[in-house]
Amino acid sequence: MNLTSMIDVVFLLLIYFMVATEFKTAEESFPMDLPLRDYSQIIQLDSKPLVIFVESAGDKKSDFRVRLDGPWDSVSSIEELVLFLRSNKAGRFGASGLFTETHPILIRPTKETRWGHTIAAYNAVVRAKYVNITLDEPS
Amino acid sequence: MARRGNPSSIINANMTPMIDVTFLLIVFFVVVSQIVDRDAVSMNLPAPSQAVAGIPDNQSRVVVNIVPLEHGDVAGIVVAGHTIAWDSMHELSDIVETRLRGGATEVHLRADRTTKYSYVHQVIEAIRAAGLNPRLQLVIEGEQP
Repeated sequence: MNLTSMIDVVFLLLIYFMVATEFKTAEESFPMDLPLRDYSQIIQLDSKPLVIFVESAGDKKSDFRVRLDGPWDSVSSIEELVLFLRSNKAGRFGASGLFTETHPILIRPTKETRWGHTIAAYNAVVRAKYVNITLDEPS
Repeated sequence: MARRGNPSSIINANMTPMIDVTFLLIVFFVVVSQIVDRDAVSMNLPAPSQAVAGIPDNQSRVVVNIVPLEHGDVAGIVVAGHTIAWDSMHELSDIVETRLRGGATEVHLRADRTTKYSYVHQVIEAIRAAGLNPRLQLVIEGEQP
């Protein structure tokens, strides 16, 4: 049996797939709903949203700070923000807390805030298991 | 030294193991290779620590890439293979709207981690302006195994 031509084809296929293969890094994503703004209907929110300001100081991963709007203790890092959000969350079994799971949370970066830092703040809120998160207009 | 035996016999290398290995390699590359994702522009996606994001569904999506430049500025937008200049943002709304009417349900937003939020916000508003209440997916880099 003459195997030469088959081996030729097989090697060609091998080289094709080796060249065409692209190992790409996996991607994940945060879902966010984009409802149409309807200014004709003004609805009254039950509770005032919690506003989280995000400011960048540089390009590096930790070069940013978060700040809460309102009479809250200042948070100096993402970990403290997660802790604050978790400890002030109303539990399912009557645990005391200020915010329910669906409490509106506004993330308000500045115009200069890097996208990576905005996403870091977004991730912190998701980690604390809040579901009603909005990216606000830049301040 | 002269070889004894039947002079008509031909000495062949045993090809079987090589063909076995080669086929295994081919099967490996066929399985691993995926159709090249031409929708995605190469960039440094945000990678928050301890991310709790989900795995996006790649079916019925429109991918909107904000092409980064130096210092957080942007070069333009690449959506579904079309390159759009930053000045003509209304084209983005039109393309996204067409795709959403064509059956897409999700808009994947890919932006570099250094891109300034003012640009990202304008793109989000342009996607919102397309109407049809799409679900936006903010794409980040997956965990490295």
